[in-house]
Amino acid sequence: MDRITKREFTVGAIMLACGLGYMALTSQIPHIKNQYGFVDATFVPYVLSAIMCLLGVLQILTARQPAKEADAGATTSADQRTVFKTIALIIAYVALLEPVGFLLATVVYLVIQFTLLTPADRKPNIPLYALIAVLTSGITYAIFRYAFDMVLPVGLFGF
Amino acid sequence: MLSLLQQGLDAVFTFQVLGLVLFGTVIGIIFGAIPGLTSTMAVALFLPITYTLSPGAGISLLVALFVGGTSGGLISAILLKIPGTPSSIATTFDGGPMMEKGEAVKALGAGIVFSFLGTLFSIAALVFIAPTLAKVALRFGPHEYFAIAVFSLTLIATLASGSMIKGIFSGVVGFAFATVGIAPVDAVTRYTFGYADLNGGFQILTVLIGLFAVSEIIKVAETVRHEQKASIGTVSMKNIKGFGFSMQEFFGQGWNFIRSSIIGTGIGILPGIGGGTSNIVSYIVAKNRSKHPEKFGTGILDGVVASETANNASIGGAMVPLLTLGIPGDAVTAVMLGGFMIQGIQPGPLLFVSQGALVYTIFVALLLSTVMMLVCEFYGLRIFIKLLAVPKHILLPIILVLCVVGSFGLDSNLFDVWTILLFGLIGYGFLKVGISLPPFIIGFILGPMAETNLRRGLQLSDGDFTGFLTNPISAAFLALSLASVLWSLYQSRKPR
Repeated sequence: MDRITKREFTVGAIMLACGLGYMALTSQIPHIKNQYGFVDATFVPYVLSAIMCLLGVLQILTARQPAKEADAGATTSADQRTVFKTIALIIAYVALLEPVGFLLATVVYLVIQFTLLTPADRKPNIPLYALIAVLTSGITYAIFRYAFDMVLPVGLFGF
Repeated sequence: MLSLLQQGLDAVFTFQVLGLVLFGTVIGIIFGAIPGLTSTMAVALFLPITYTLSPGAGISLLVALFVGGTSGGLISAILLKIPGTPSSIATTFDGGPMMEKGEAVKALGAGIVFSFLGTLFSIAALVFIAPTLAKVALRFGPHEYFAIAVFSLTLIATLASGSMIKGIFSGVVGFAFATVGIAPVDAVTRYTFGYADLNGGFQILTVLIGLFAVSEIIKVAETVRHEQKASIGTVSMKNIKGFGFSMQEFFGQGWNFIRSSIIGTGIGILPGIGGGTSNIVSYIVAKNRSKHPEKFGTGILDGVVASETANNASIGGAMVPLLTLGIPGDAVTAVMLGGFMIQGIQPGPLLFVSQGALVYTIFVALLLSTVMMLVCEFYGLRIFIKLLAVPKHILLPIILVLCVVGSFGLDSNLFDVWTILLFGLIGYGFLKVGISLPPFIIGFILGPMAETNLRRGLQLSDGDFTGFLTNPISAAFLALSLASVLWSLYQSRKPR
């Protein structure tokens, strides 16, 4: 089994698992009898979960055929470490928005994110990043707070 | 009609709306021009701002972003040889070689002018087709709407790029996410796990921002650190008259323009697909019909004209099903549907009766954005070229902050921010394994329409399913849905 076939097989297995999981969740929805036959709030979800399972099985069966690169999705070398760090950083940013406040959390997020994504052949310019981060969060805060009248998290420090 | 047009003109020709249309067109061009940013992302990002605007002003801003974003892709397609958006993929085939031959201004000028003309053609088609179609659609009931929703879902899933299985799966998952919350008709709560924030289901805006903006940002993180710095072509405007091409060259593109406009508008009208598909189809047709197909790809005007006319002609086409049936014509109009919902407006045939002035405001805003696109894109070319050099590692985190602020601003609730992250991760996962995103959003939007009308239709026919087959329009659309799936199956099994 080559790399693409293996991945396509895994995708099929995940599709099937999604269908089964959705079906299991649907079975917990209460049935409400009505005068219009068996169609209630569970009908469409059951149909959808059955389609998902069928598609999962079809995907598993077709995974054995040689996949076209276009169908298999991006296969270019990806910097997964940067992706995971970026996702973790975004999660931390959102988690800290309320306790720390928009202005401070955004400045810290931006500086770290700029640094993280700086091309490997260049040196991060931290003072410039800090300036851009302060300006971005300040201008965004001012526009949304005063022009659009939206309240952004102020945090522990009151700003 | 004239009084409605007058009302539309009055609504658009105000200081505020003119400013918003100009702003939207310029921002749209920037989003279209910078690879990695798309017009879909631009519209999704600016949706929360429309909350604070009147319906006419808000929709005009979105329309301007759509027009600018679709056309802006040609700048990078020609000067970087990288399509700024999927709508300008085919523009790179001849635009890039033209730039290498020192004909960058001619390629850009032709691209801009034919983008303008293609949009005008599609707006004319929209103005004539939409009101007529709306009159027909006024007679539609639940049976017809259910069948149209099913047809649209199958069409987008089967026409999605890549695997048909994955395309259908994407649409079904989108539909499944739309079932979260209170069910139609009997108001049963589904998949909320006792969490009150989920009672109303996922907000369309958070789903859109997550899928089309956050997922793209995460995806760019894969490559941004190791990307080669793209060399940007130079543009000299010295000794350039008009738009850089002769009248003979202009009139020589007459048939190419008409054919590409019809292809673009037609593909735009089909639910779920738009400029991303039409530019390639139009390019292939132009090449096949040409007396000198061997010259395509070497840097000829015909290729740029075919691609740029068709992708912009999809704009008006995509607005037809959106305005008349409430069904998005492509991914950007799916996002625009969110803009209508924010304003409490349900697009569909009734829109032409109850909000006729708004419909004409949209027509006028489209027209105005097209003119502004022509002027801004050509005369502001040097500024846009400079913006291509803005590093992505600075731009994308700032866009993420705007996504966070936009989603938080919906209800001043962090739940919505977590939701964009959830859908961003789902979108990224889908992109990684080659699952197309547009079917997901079409499923999410059309799913509730299909379910509600299925159940209402069954109520009308006392639980009898044959009501969907005895109704001629409903039966025709269901037959078309089946034909679309069978055709795709046949195509996928046919040896290439």
